[in-house]
Amino acid sequence: MNPRHVGWLLALVTTITVVMLQRDVGIARDETVYMSAGQRYAEWWVGLGKLQHGLGGPLITSVFGGPMGGGGNPEHPPLAKLAAGLSHRWFHDDLPIFGELTAYRLPSAILHGVLAWLVFTFVLEVWGLAEAVTAALCLLLLPRALFHAGLTCFDAPIMTLWFATIVAYWRALGIDSKKLPWQLGIAWGLALATKHTALLLPFAIGIHYIVLAIRNRDALFRWRLVATMAVLGPLVLFVAWPWLWLDPIGHVKQWLQFHATHVHYNFEYLGHNWNAPRFPWHVALVTTLFTVPTATLGAAAIGAGVWIARWRRGTNADRERAPVLLLGLSAAAAIGPFFLGTTPIFGAEKHWMAVLPTICIAAGVGTIWAARRLAVTFERVPARVAIGVVAGTIVLAGFCETVVSHPYALTWYSALAGGSPGGADLGMNRQFWGVSARGVLPEIATQPLGPVYSHDASPAWGWYERLGELPKGYPDAGNEAAGIAASSYALVIHEKHFNRHDYLIWKSYGTVQPLFVLRSGGVPIVSLYKRPPK
Amino acid sequence: MKKLLAAAPALLLVILSLWEVAAAHHDDRSVPDDGAWHRAATALRERAQPGDLIVFAPPWVDPVGRLHLGDLIPVEMAARMDAAKYGSIWELSIRGAHAPEVAGLTAATEASFSGVTLRHYERTPVKVVSDVLDHVAELHADRADRAAASLELAEVGFLPHRCIQIVPPANGAVTLTVPLTLGSKLVGYMGLADVFKRRDIRTPGTLEIHVGAASAVVTAGVDDGWARFELATTPGPQSVTFVAKAVSPDRSICFAAEARE
Repeated sequence: MNPRHVGWLLALVTTITVVMLQRDVGIARDETVYMSAGQRYAEWWVGLGKLQHGLGGPLITSVFGGPMGGGGNPEHPPLAKLAAGLSHRWFHDDLPIFGELTAYRLPSAILHGVLAWLVFTFVLEVWGLAEAVTAALCLLLLPRALFHAGLTCFDAPIMTLWFATIVAYWRALGIDSKKLPWQLGIAWGLALATKHTALLLPFAIGIHYIVLAIRNRDALFRWRLVATMAVLGPLVLFVAWPWLWLDPIGHVKQWLQFHATHVHYNFEYLGHNWNAPRFPWHVALVTTLFTVPTATLGAAAIGAGVWIARWRRGTNADRERAPVLLLGLSAAAAIGPFFLGTTPIFGAEKHWMAVLPTICIAAGVGTIWAARRLAVTFERVPARVAIGVVAGTIVLAGFCETVVSHPYALTWYSALAGGSPGGADLGMNRQFWGVSARGVLPEIATQPLGPVYSHDASPAWGWYERLGELPKGYPDAGNEAAGIAASSYALVIHEKHFNRHDYLIWKSYGTVQPLFVLRSGGVPIVSLYKRPPK
Repeated sequence: MKKLLAAAPALLLVILSLWEVAAAHHDDRSVPDDGAWHRAATALRERAQPGDLIVFAPPWVDPVGRLHLGDLIPVEMAARMDAAKYGSIWELSIRGAHAPEVAGLTAATEASFSGVTLRHYERTPVKVVSDVLDHVAELHADRADRAAASLELAEVGFLPHRCIQIVPPANGAVTLTVPLTLGSKLVGYMGLADVFKRRDIRTPGTLEIHVGAASAVVTAGVDDGWARFELATTPGPQSVTFVAKAVSPDRSICFAAEARE
C-alpha cells in the first residue's frame, strides 16, 4: 500500500472512531451554547450567501455579539461553531444522514482525523513509515483526546489547527524562499478563528525562527514566513468573524480581556479544590502523566532520549529545518503557561492538548528506535517482527485504556494513577460539564413522571428530551434550592465542589439515600435522588 | 550483557505495555460491586442499633454507601458537628481506606465482603448536656442580628454540617446570645459556608465565643474547613454569646456548639 494511502486510512479510521464513540457520550454543558450559536452563525452565512440579508451591524451583533457569556458567544471565535452549525444544516436538516447531535459533532471528528493525517505525513517525511503509523495510532488511542474530539467544542479542533500551523511552518521552511507560504498564514488564521490559545503559537514558531536565523546568520532568511503570519493570520480571523467587522480593535480587546480575567472555575487536583491562584506548578505535568496512556508516555520518553542523543551527535533528522526543536517548542508553548501558577487550570488537559502530537510523535520515534535496536542486536528477529511486537503492544495498551475510559473519559485516569478509582483515591478531578448525566436518563425513565432537578445537566436537559433520550414528563425543575424544592427527582453530578448540591437535596428531601448511583470504573459520577412520599 | 542492554528499551516498552493492559483491566474492576455492598449492608443491618454512626471510606465511595444504607443515616447524623457523641461506629471501607471518625480506634469486629470491609468500633462517647442548634428559637439578639442568623444544613469544607449560619455586614458584627445548660466544656466548630462564596470572597470570617469570663476567638479562612474551638465552662445554666465578624459582605459564617460533660 502506498504510504500516503495509509495516512488517509488512519485519518478515516480516526474520524469514524470518534463518530462512533461520541454517540455514547452525553451532552456537555458548554456544548449546548456552541451548538446553538453555531446554528445561528450558519444561518447568517447561508443567508448572506443567498443575499437574504446584508452586512447590517445590528444583525451581526445579535448573531455573533452581545455580552460575554451571552447567546452570541462572542467570548470564543466562530470557526468551530460555524462548522458545527453548517454540518448540522447540511447533514441533518438538508440531507438527514446523521442524527442531530452527531451532525453538530462531525466537524470536530473530521478535524481529529485530519490531525492523525497531519501527524502521519509529518512523521513519514521526517522519520519513516513505521514511526508514522505508530505515532498516528498512539494519537488515535488517547482516551481524553478522543473524548474531546467527539464534542462540539474547540479543544480538539484547536489541537488540529495548532499542529496544522506547525506543519505549515515547517513545510514553508522547505519551499523556495521567494514563494509566499500562504498556507502558514491561513492555518494560523484558522487556528486563531478557533480558540484564543492559538495566540501562543508565535512563541513556538518565533523562537524556532530565531534559532534558524542565527544558524543562517540572516534575520530575514525567510522573511515571507513572518509576513504571512503577521498579515494573513489576523486577516483570516477577521474575515471569519463578522463581529470583528464592526469594531476590530475593540472587539479583539473584549475577547482577550474575557480570557485574561476569566473566572477560576472549581477544579479538584490532588484532593484539593482549586478556585484561585496560585495553582501548583505541577498541575499540567501530573495531569498529563495520568491522562496519557503510560506505555505511550514510556515510548515518548525513549523517543525524547533518542532525539537528545542524536542532537548531541548532530544526527537528528532534517537538521536544516530542525523539526525536533519545532516539536519541542510547540509542546512548550502549549503547556508552558500552565506551569506559571496563575493560568486557569479548570478543564485541565483539554487546554494544553496541543502538546499531544509532540508526545505521540516522540512515542512513535522511541518505539521504532527500540524495536530496530532489538532487531539489530538479535539478528534472528526480523525488523518487521520486532516493530510489530513492540509497537503492537504499545498500541494495545492505548486501546485497552481507551476501551475502559469510554464513555466517561473525564473520570478515567491511566494505569499509572490506578485507573478511575486510583484517580479518585488521588483526589484528581472527577469530571466536568455534566456529560455523565446521560447515564442516569434510562433510570429516570423507569420512574413515575415528575420534575427533575437536573443540576449541571440543566442546559442539556431540553436537548435530551428533544433527541428522545428522555421521555416527556420529566421537565427540568429549575436551579439551586428553588429547583430542588420544586422537584420530584434530583441529580448530583459528582465533583468535589458540587457536594453542596447533595446537602441541598438532603435538606429538601429529608433523606441522604439516593435511588441510584451511576459509576464509572466503580467511582460514583452521578447520584439520582427520589423525593420520598410525605 | 551488551545484547541485553541493547534490547532493554524494547523489552521495557513491551513489559510496560503488557502491565498497562493488565492494570487497566484490573483497575476498572477493582472496586467492589453492588453485590458486595449488599452483603456488607445486610450484615450491618443484622447487628447495628438505632443511633449507631455509619461511616464510609474513602470519601468518594460515600454515595454508594448511602445508596445501600442511607435509610439508617438520618440527615442530622450525616450533617453532624463531629463524631464524639457516638459510642458505636460502623465503618464500611474499600481499598484499605479508613474514615477519619475512627482514627486511633481499634476495631472490635471486622468482616470482609468481597472487598467491602465492615468494622465495628466501640468507645465511650462524650455526653452532650445541650446543643446550641436545639436552642435556635431562643436566640437573643436585636432584630437585625436575629435576621442575619438561620439554622442551615450547609457545606463547610466540602462536608455537610448543620449549623447556625450568620452573614454579618461588611466590617460589622452579629451578636447572638443563647441560654444553655453547660457542662464542663463547650466544644464547637466554625467555618465558611458555600464553596462559591469562598471562591469569590477570599477574606476570613471570625467567631468570638463568650461564656462568663471565658472567651475564645476562632478565625477561619477559605481553606480552613470546619475549625474546632473549646472552652472550659462551669456546669449549670448560663448564657453563651457568639459574635460573628467579617470584613467583606456576604460572608457566610457557620457554627455549631455543644455543651459537654
